[in-house]
Amino acid sequence: MRTLVFIPAWNEEGSIGEVIAGLHESLPEADVLVVDDGSVDATAARAAEAGARVASLPFNQGLGAALQTGYVYALREGYDLCAHLDADGQHPPAEVARLVAEVRDGRADLAIGSRYRDPAVAAEDDYRPNLSRRIGSNVFRFALTLATRQRFTDTTSGMRAANRRVMALFSERYSPDFAELESLQRAVREGLRVEELPVRMLPRQEGTSFLTPLRSAFFIFKSLIVLLVGHFRPHNAEVGDP
Amino acid sequence: MIPFGAEEPVVQLTAQSRILAAIIALAFMGMILELIRRHRLQERYSVIWLLAGLGMLAGAAFPALLEVVADFMGVRDTNVALFSIVLLLLLGLSLNFSVIVSRQAEQITRLAQERALERAKETDRAAEREVNGSRAETRA
Repeated sequence: MRTLVFIPAWNEEGSIGEVIAGLHESLPEADVLVVDDGSVDATAARAAEAGARVASLPFNQGLGAALQTGYVYALREGYDLCAHLDADGQHPPAEVARLVAEVRDGRADLAIGSRYRDPAVAAEDDYRPNLSRRIGSNVFRFALTLATRQRFTDTTSGMRAANRRVMALFSERYSPDFAELESLQRAVREGLRVEELPVRMLPRQEGTSFLTPLRSAFFIFKSLIVLLVGHFRPHNAEVGDP
Repeated sequence: MIPFGAEEPVVQLTAQSRILAAIIALAFMGMILELIRRHRLQERYSVIWLLAGLGMLAGAAFPALLEVVADFMGVRDTNVALFSIVLLLLLGLSLNFSVIVSRQAEQITRLAQERALERAKETDRAAEREVNGSRAETRA
């Protein structure tokens, strides 16, 4: 089975090389594509040096557009499986390999890495989110569970593995602003099997989160509207069996 | 002022204001046509503006229309009706622009993605050629 691992990256020159090296180690048979989302630093050069293919968007388009680029590439180049992870080094490549195996063995169409799924892992984790982030996670968790009738613990996780049915769905349209949340809702609505797997994540290596309390509140509000509207969207006729 | 309890809406446009409105409407439509002629405005986005201009002209020519509208809206003062209509029209126009901007943003995103994928493939092919080239060299 041909596997593509893609990494959306925006100004991550400090960590991208190490992430790619880790992937070559944990998933030696997979091809690695870095989707450079209009970086102004040396992200693309570092990625190419580390042996990854690079698709550079001409200007910054946001996470959703970068992820969609990866899904389109995987679909067109005929990969059977694809996976993606963050470029900042939070996601251990070994855990991505577990997600890929889950989809390869047919236990899920879309596998999500969750750092909250296993309470034991979550407790010993040194990841300590601040208050606004905790409120946000809880609101998202509640809203998404309500919208999908399925329990999700890590709604904004950017560590996933998917098969061709998911590639077809996400290539066709991918919300530019609310990449993670809306995509989960759509996948469940289209009847795909979405499974969460407990994974370990590491503290951020580089950069800081963009969220301030006011931004979080605004983000939460917009996301809830997106979920509400998404609930009444027509179904996608295109996504059948591959 | 209209006395309280008056039944019929009364048009308060003077001849002067009507002439002024007609001139503005005509100038406005002339400007739209000129923008189209210079390719600074696409025809498909001009229809709505020409309709707005025509509406303005119709209001200036036949103030009785305004009376009918005011009556329909249940307002006694035709000026209130006029302002309400203009406000609603502007609201509709700006919404129309938001829709257009959204569509174009999506198109730009698609374009950027296609270009990124195209270039990634090109780089791949170039790398392949290089590898094949060096292999040929070692064979020679």
